Amino acid sequence: MPELSLEQRKRVLIVDQSADSRSVLRTVLERRGVQILESPCAAQGLELVRQHHPEVVVLDLESDAAEDRSVRAAYECELATHRAELVILGNLRRCEVPADEHLVRKPYHYAPLIRKIEQLIERTVQPGGNGAGQCLRCL
Amino acid sequence: MPSLFVIQGRDQGKRFELQGSCVRVGREKGNTVQLHDTEVSRFHAELREQGGRYELVDLGSSNGTYVNSQLIDHHLLNSGDRVQVGRTLMIFTAGDELTSHERVDSISIVGQEQHPGGSRIVSTLGQQPGERIFGIHSERSESDSPWLARARSNLDVMYHTALAASHTLDIDQLLQRIMELIFEWVEADRGCVMLLDRDLDQLVPKVRRDRKSTAGESIEISRTILDYVLQHNEGVLTSDASDDERWDSAASIVRMGIREAICVPMQGRYGVVGVIYIDTYTAPGRFIQRPANRFSAEHLKLMVAIGHQAALAIEDTSYYSAMVQAERLAAIGQTIATLSHHIKNILQGIRGGSYLIEEGLKSGEFDVVSKGWAIVDKNQDKISNLVMDMLTFSKEREPEMVPADLNEVVTDVIELAQTRAADAGVKLVWTPDAQMPLLTFDPDALHRAVLNIVTNAVDACEKAESGLVEPRQVEPRQVTVRTEYAAAQQLVRIIVEDNGEGIAPEDLARIFSVFESRKGSRGTGLGLPVSQKIMHEHEGDIVVDSTPGQGSRFCMSMPAILAQPADPDAAPGAAQTRYGL
Repeated sequence: MPELSLEQRKRVLIVDQSADSRSVLRTVLERRGVQILESPCAAQGLELVRQHHPEVVVLDLESDAAEDRSVRAAYECELATHRAELVILGNLRRCEVPADEHLVRKPYHYAPLIRKIEQLIERTVQPGGNGAGQCLRCL
Repeated sequence: MPSLFVIQGRDQGKRFELQGSCVRVGREKGNTVQLHDTEVSRFHAELREQGGRYELVDLGSSNGTYVNSQLIDHHLLNSGDRVQVGRTLMIFTAGDELTSHERVDSISIVGQEQHPGGSRIVSTLGQQPGERIFGIHSERSESDSPWLARARSNLDVMYHTALAASHTLDIDQLLQRIMELIFEWVEADRGCVMLLDRDLDQLVPKVRRDRKSTAGESIEISRTILDYVLQHNEGVLTSDASDDERWDSAASIVRMGIREAICVPMQGRYGVVGVIYIDTYTAPGRFIQRPANRFSAEHLKLMVAIGHQAALAIEDTSYYSAMVQAERLAAIGQTIATLSHHIKNILQGIRGGSYLIEEGLKSGEFDVVSKGWAIVDKNQDKISNLVMDMLTFSKEREPEMVPADLNEVVTDVIELAQTRAADAGVKLVWTPDAQMPLLTFDPDALHRAVLNIVTNAVDACEKAESGLVEPRQVEPRQVTVRTEYAAAQQLVRIIVEDNGEGIAPEDLARIFSVFESRKGSRGTGLGLPVSQKIMHEHEGDIVVDSTPGQGSRFCMSMPAILAQPADPDAAPGAAQTRYGL
């Protein structure tokens, strides 16, 4: 595979309190050419979203403050603006997650999670992927 | 907060806190007070708030709503009211009763100097003399009239019944004692107490007592008498069963050889809980002449009072047991939920590590395998620590006191924690006291206690470093560990200091409570309670000083028990520190 420049590499932000989980995802995704951003807490993660506009965010609800509905709403708003995808790791019920978000229940297997992240990266680069430009919730 | 506490029915032991202006009671899922009772309607009743109080309103239920045994449409509730819907009985408790609190404020204790010429003690009466006043063997005046003597005797019986009822939470023991009292006081030949089993809806014998002469005979209680007592909720005395028009002359009472019987309901606050029965007995066919009656109307009255006392005690005990059971179930639930959560996180870690190993093996990348193995290894330690903490916390144990080197124990902890500290970017500084003598303690346990404290200190530094708490200044995060031998005080100390996030004053009081973790999903909430338990087992303690944003200091201290000089004949290495991991 030809080496991609940093600008060309797709970005995934991992917000997870568990250093192990971050390390596993980073190791595997970096080997597949993905640029990884990471944070153990939701508020800090939101700053990274605003600065780096990742294509996919993996948000573990056990991360500091991630269970706060207003924090999640802020993520949803930012991600919709930048046509990014949100994967939620947690034990919510399906009905508690908007249709355009992706819920992975814990404990999860890494192979399907990584496949899901790769699919979402693909989707974000295709035209007409995940909506455009403006967060409907903010209108 | 106002509440409904279920004391009877399938939900026994549950407490429903009442919040909001309208609280619905019923069988359906949407009710705030959801009852698993088939005799409760889907939407049975509502509690509506009115000026700080609750009014109970029946919603046209099939089986009705009762307050203090009265059928109601709507009723303004008072604290202590009994609410019955279907087969479920609940006690309503109002919230804070301001008036009684306000009135409590007007009580003050004043000294003699503020109250000159006030009261003086003219007589005293202790507990034991108090008992003697009522005692059967108390001195009685010759001038006591028969009425007074009887009154004293009755008072004595009631006094001892009340004592028995208030001194036990064991229902069988209470009933046994009540039968003893009855037999001391009345010449019954046989007696028993039967309690109502609400599930089976029948009386179940609990206690039986016989005078010696009838001890071998089986006791057969007339269904006729029992039914009458339960249906009419009245005590009955029959002086001659065959003459009593209440009983069918062909009934079993006479055939069973019962001459006299007293049977009284055990009437509590919430209904009849059972019956007390006594009789005089002559085996059928052994009548020679009609003996004098032993039971009187006065006996009946007193038996009714005793039955009431016993019933109240049984209800109180059931209420207490239900509360204890509810708390126990809640504690078990919390324990299972907390431990499952930690185990789940550890399994998630192991799954991640295994996945990396698999990926590394597939692609032949050794560094990925190595990374995966490190994660698996770390989580193996986590599960091992969790299990050891659970074991240490769950059972009472005597420390295994052996001669050991405290510095060596702490050195091992430092070695174990070193990798974790390096990963977290925390410097670990270890200063052993060179004068530390060989001591007698449980090295395995101390190792665990110190490891938990040092691990916490590293975590506190890491949390501060990672920006999860407000950064105060840029300085290297550091944990210092040192031992001290205070010969004059015969104490040893292990001091662990960190410059991490610190602990808020309001959290300090709770840090040794089980499952109270400030580390989010990473903490089990067992580490500090286990360390404290181990120190207490060594007759020591842990003292914590902490300032939020500056760090914490944990001082573990315990008596320094010097090890006896080694026996020269002992096997080599006998005095060496031994502890397993």
